[in-house]
Amino acid sequence: MSLSNLQAIGRLQAQPPDPPAMAKLLQAARQNLADARVEQISASNRFDAAYKCIMQCAMLGLWANGWRTSTSQPGHHQTAIQTLDQTLGVPKPDLIVLDALRRQRNVNDYEGDPIADATLRACLQSADKLLGHTLRWLQAQHPEWGLV
Amino acid sequence: MNLLFPAHRQQVLAALLLQPGHSLHLRELARLTGSHAGTLGRELSKLAQAGLLLRSDQGNQTRYSANVQHPLFPELFAMFRKTHGVVPALRTALEPLAAQIALAFVYGSLASGSATQHSDVDVLLVGSVDFVAVVQALYPLHELLGREVNPVVWAPQELADKARAGDAFVRDVLRKPKLWIKGSEHELEQLAGHWPPTGAAA
Repeated sequence: MSLSNLQAIGRLQAQPPDPPAMAKLLQAARQNLADARVEQISASNRFDAAYKCIMQCAMLGLWANGWRTSTSQPGHHQTAIQTLDQTLGVPKPDLIVLDALRRQRNVNDYEGDPIADATLRACLQSADKLLGHTLRWLQAQHPEWGLV
Repeated sequence: MNLLFPAHRQQVLAALLLQPGHSLHLRELARLTGSHAGTLGRELSKLAQAGLLLRSDQGNQTRYSANVQHPLFPELFAMFRKTHGVVPALRTALEPLAAQIALAFVYGSLASGSATQHSDVDVLLVGSVDFVAVVQALYPLHELLGREVNPVVWAPQELADKARAGDAFVRDVLRKPKLWIKGSEHELEQLAGHWPPTGAAA
């Protein structure tokens, strides 16, 4: 769904980009990916940290384009991830994987299903790839913000 | 579907509509659907009279197949694919990755028959297959089945270790109904070994 249609149904709100706020979120995303690499904690918590990095990159994509999700609406993770092709130009096959990781996160968080090694590996790789992509996008599109 | 079609009619239609171009003999159909040949014969005659099925006589055998020319065929096919076609669709989608998949089955609400219209298809795969490859192979099924497909991939050793450690998720999956895409209950039990019954001291 287009970003303006998502605004029309109340999923997104317009918000001018705020570089200091984005710097803070970018820092958190980096920290979460670093934490996800800590092998002493469970696969579930490592997955959670890597997933947080993905979510924060997705939020950055919206913010950088002048949008924010409505926290009063359910499904803001879904909205942020499923619009990554429009906000940061993430290729569709990658978006499909990120959305699958979002559903894994739901069954892990709310139903207690454990995280398999294969899922953790995919989440770490996807988070690393998306963070790299986000940094390159910010550098190319908005060097004036000095975020990278 | 139970409201729309009696159980036997559903099974016959699912068996024939989901394999258009394929014809089945009365006894094969009776075995597939677990029904009595006499009851099934009357059901098949009615469906053939209505034009939904085609009859063809080969020697002393009567074979039945879906009538793909029937005006309602595309709609019926789509309906049955969404309700009875989950396993065949998954098998086809996973075919290119089959060499790296030892076992595969549907678990959760769809397997136990408690699925609602919003239920996902939960699929568990055991093997060395890449999670990303599985997600991308299964993605087209969202639209085909009208449901999201949620795969998990476990390495054989990882699953065996978890079963031995009495992991609650693995125990739950082992105990509950499954729809098999590849492999069998027996192979899964062999892999998982023996685990202590619920409530037993570890």
